[in-house]
Amino acid sequence: MDGNGLPPAPIKSIGVPMPMVDGPEKISGRALYTADFYDHAALTGCIKRADVAHAHILSVDISAAEALPGVHAVITGSETDEGHGVLPVSRTELPIAFDRVRYKGEPVAAVAADSIEIAKAACDLIKVEYEELPAYFTAADSIAEGSVDLHDHRPGNIERHVDYEIGDVDAGFGQAELVHETEYHCAEVCQVQTEPHAAFAEWDGERDELTVRASTQVPYYVHLMLSKILKMPKSKIRVIKPFLGGGFGARTEALNVELITAMLARRVRGTVRTVISREETFITHRGRPEQTVKIRMGMTKDGKVTAIDCQTIQRGGGHSGYGIVTILYSGSMLFAIYDLQNVRYDGKRVLTNTPPCGAFRGHGTVNVRHAFENAMDEMAIKLGLDPFAVRRANLIAEMGHVANDLWVNSYGLPECLDVVEKASGWKDRKGNLAPGKGLGLACSHYVSGASKPVNWTGEPHATINLKLDFDGTIVILTGASEIGQGSSTILVQCVAEVLGIDPTRVKIIAADSRVTPKDNGSYSSRVTYMVGNAAIEAATNLRGVLVAAAAKKFDVNPEDVECLGETYRAGSQDEGMTFDEVAMAALEGTGTITVKGNFDTHPDSWGGKKYRGAAIGGSMAFAYAAQVVEVTVDPDTAEIKVDQVWVAHDCGKALNPLTVEGQIQGSVWMGMGQAMTEETRYHKGLLISGNMLDYRVPTFVESPPIEAHIVESIDPHGPFGAKEAGEASLAGFLPALTSAVADAMGVRAHELPVTPDRLLRILEDKEREMRSSATAAE
Amino acid sequence: MENMPAFRLHRPETAAEAVRLKTSDARSRYLAGGTDMIVNVRRGIEAPETMIDLTAIAAITEISEISGGDGGLRIGAGVKLSDLAAHADLRRDYPAITQAAASVAGPTHRRYGTIGGNLCLDTRCLFYNQSQWWRESNNFCLKHKGDVCHVAPGGKRCFAAFSGDVAPAMLVYGAEVDLKGPNGARTIPLVDLYRDDGMDHLALEADELLVSIRLPKPVAGTVSGYEKSRIRGSIDFPLAGCAVRVTMDDGKVADIAIALTAVNPSPHIVTGLDDFVGRPLDDDALDKIREMVRSQAKPMLTTTVRPWYRRRVVGALARRLTAKLAGA
Repeated sequence: MDGNGLPPAPIKSIGVPMPMVDGPEKISGRALYTADFYDHAALTGCIKRADVAHAHILSVDISAAEALPGVHAVITGSETDEGHGVLPVSRTELPIAFDRVRYKGEPVAAVAADSIEIAKAACDLIKVEYEELPAYFTAADSIAEGSVDLHDHRPGNIERHVDYEIGDVDAGFGQAELVHETEYHCAEVCQVQTEPHAAFAEWDGERDELTVRASTQVPYYVHLMLSKILKMPKSKIRVIKPFLGGGFGARTEALNVELITAMLARRVRGTVRTVISREETFITHRGRPEQTVKIRMGMTKDGKVTAIDCQTIQRGGGHSGYGIVTILYSGSMLFAIYDLQNVRYDGKRVLTNTPPCGAFRGHGTVNVRHAFENAMDEMAIKLGLDPFAVRRANLIAEMGHVANDLWVNSYGLPECLDVVEKASGWKDRKGNLAPGKGLGLACSHYVSGASKPVNWTGEPHATINLKLDFDGTIVILTGASEIGQGSSTILVQCVAEVLGIDPTRVKIIAADSRVTPKDNGSYSSRVTYMVGNAAIEAATNLRGVLVAAAAKKFDVNPEDVECLGETYRAGSQDEGMTFDEVAMAALEGTGTITVKGNFDTHPDSWGGKKYRGAAIGGSMAFAYAAQVVEVTVDPDTAEIKVDQVWVAHDCGKALNPLTVEGQIQGSVWMGMGQAMTEETRYHKGLLISGNMLDYRVPTFVESPPIEAHIVESIDPHGPFGAKEAGEASLAGFLPALTSAVADAMGVRAHELPVTPDRLLRILEDKEREMRSSATAAE
Repeated sequence: MENMPAFRLHRPETAAEAVRLKTSDARSRYLAGGTDMIVNVRRGIEAPETMIDLTAIAAITEISEISGGDGGLRIGAGVKLSDLAAHADLRRDYPAITQAAASVAGPTHRRYGTIGGNLCLDTRCLFYNQSQWWRESNNFCLKHKGDVCHVAPGGKRCFAAFSGDVAPAMLVYGAEVDLKGPNGARTIPLVDLYRDDGMDHLALEADELLVSIRLPKPVAGTVSGYEKSRIRGSIDFPLAGCAVRVTMDDGKVADIAIALTAVNPSPHIVTGLDDFVGRPLDDDALDKIREMVRSQAKPMLTTTVRPWYRRRVVGALARRLTAKLAGA
């Protein structure tokens, strides 16, 4: 009996809306982010950036900069000849450009100095002589006949051309009662995470060893790239990820900031701290590419899609980055949301003289989903069908492998549709709203971790170590990067749930290569699924150790021990042992206990081999979302106000409903930015929107009420049935918005973002068209 | 933007002392809220060696009635925009002014920014409000260090847009400004404070300080308002802004004034509105007003939003606001 007179019972952690475990530090300001690391001896790092978009570097004269008092090191592209990048086949980006500049703002030199003022003055003294080359700021210009190749190994500036057909597309179009072709253009967008990039590198001059703190989502990849760039053994490097102010894919690969800072630290044999500006963070980029998507869709009169022909082109920027992966995702993720049998996909990833793109939240899927869902809505209107009916006509009926071999084992999309249809009052309200008001629907989905890692090493996908010592504290050691998404909280909950203990007994130490097991990083929504499963296995192993120890004390068989979290007993009348007593019993003879848990993906989830690159998109589980957006359009100014969003997200099982809801709202809100206000703009290759005034992330004023509904399909392989919660709800907002505007005004925007100037142009064109047809009729 | 250039800071307690300090140092600047200017300093657009902080001058932080003459209201140039927006008498008698003040940037800017700073706001342009590296990479521009205007290449005129919200609202009331300089004090109409030149848009004499604004006594039956177009409902400068003041008499216009911002290098008073005096504001009149506003607005490519739209929208706002105020 406990103090309340109730029998002891395991404490629930899963499904409990628990505040984040790292919340107090963040809210109080005690959390240390990379830029918060100071050292009285630290020098300031500063990057000299190219003012040309495409050029051969003829010479770099650093003599005046080196002579400036207070300057300790000046490095150039000759500092390393090793490139970095994501895929082993495309690690060709040098941290500092050596013989060729490929975008305005690319690093061409770097300085370590006593102060930022001296460092900037030194950068100004560096003279770079260029021989300019033709520069290409659009994908079309870059692949035009006779253009100069940005990279020798990518003739024609095509990073990757993906081209395949699954099923029989022509036959599929033959079965269609309506074939419709439509094209959408999505502007390039940036993540604009709160924290600008920073790195703090310490060179141990006595031991020739390096410690790097970096604002990254992937400390392990940073570790690998530091080893490659610096040509140092991995064992001489330690990488720590401090608190992080958001990622959203901007930091899913090693960035030049941390690599350059490390090179400077080695040069000065000391400590260098680099904090780049918001503008430089924009230029470092790794956002979502500008993309044109053309979709041809065949549909029966009942709304069943019979065939898809999708052609898309992405402006990738000056280096590979995630490019090949992004263009593959755009194709593979056409599947696994609806039952599609006949699909032709033609995707081109193009190298251009703009900052390199990356793996923005909803990686590769968002712009294609935008076009796809809009095409469905356009066809629903033409066929006189309800948009919900069209989605329902295309639902996946059976679990298992879909046409492109993606593996679907849980599918809450039907329920998501039901939930938002009801919550939004769709049946009564659609078509009956006041003038200028409209409703739009769209669906979206995303992977729960990429099943095949970029770096195939044979290791498990995830490893967790648990440590239990005399104090009764369980310490989770994990490489998983808490980036604000709540991964540390989820791992604490998983461990506490398995053991049934008070979650405050569980502490977590994450992302320090000297202490924690390696983890691939926080991307592709992999951490909850993969590391969560590893945490469950580790906690289960620990429970086995504790039960065995208790059994020994009770002198019973382990299977007769009842584990009630904070109490262990054998026989229900027994008072039993407290957790601390069991822990001490377990330590007898062995000392500190460490146990391990692993997770590996099932080969069935690896994405098949139907075409080159088919592994991309492969995942153990897919999360689904449906959302309804309601808008009001001002007919005078063409300003769109989002009145409300109803969104339902199938995350398998909401391990923490509070953080799931936050993730859903954040996704919707980020989708709103891309749909309505955000875009990068360039002036002759120079990023003209590299500040938070001209790059317009929505403010609280624009933030609509977002009613987030959680759908739990209980995935058979997910941790407690969970799947991803942080990305699937993003993509649906965009087409739901354009469809809502179409419902309100009778015109559809084919270009994102739908800013008032774009929409007013469309409205006036329509008005003119109507006037001239009225005149013609007279 | 970690760097903040070093400068000497003075904090005088009288306007006279501020002017004296300013006159004694050629590379000095007056500093009020700093919400716009400090950004420019950090971007290397301004490089003052000395800053004269005006926030300790108590006499310029008050709003008081003008005694004698025709009366009216005197607003100290140091009054914060948030205080201006919340002032009960102003809300009642000059609603366009409080609406404009309440729409400037975001809440924190309004807590620091002053009315004097807002009236004297530097003109803005995509090619000017950028970092030192950016402007240098783009060979600077006509307004600062360069000899080419990227908005209208080939021209020798700067089209940077005046983007203060409160100026048009004060212009429709015929506000005057009190200036204090090394050669003494003077009072001029607010409209004369501005020049139609993006490079040199303020008609202030060297070291002259804007001390206060005078508003004439409100006319009974006068209504006014301010509306701005922007992409986001907070933070953004206006893409176009419009203040309207109108007095109706028996369903007909007795007096009307409209002023625009962000569509010209200086705030613009719409001309030709006298034609509407004595007429009702019917649809025909409102359409004419819309077209007059559109034809007098001259937005250029100084923001990421197309000039075409800014001209369309400023007319639409003027029409809508006028109709609303006239009860049409």
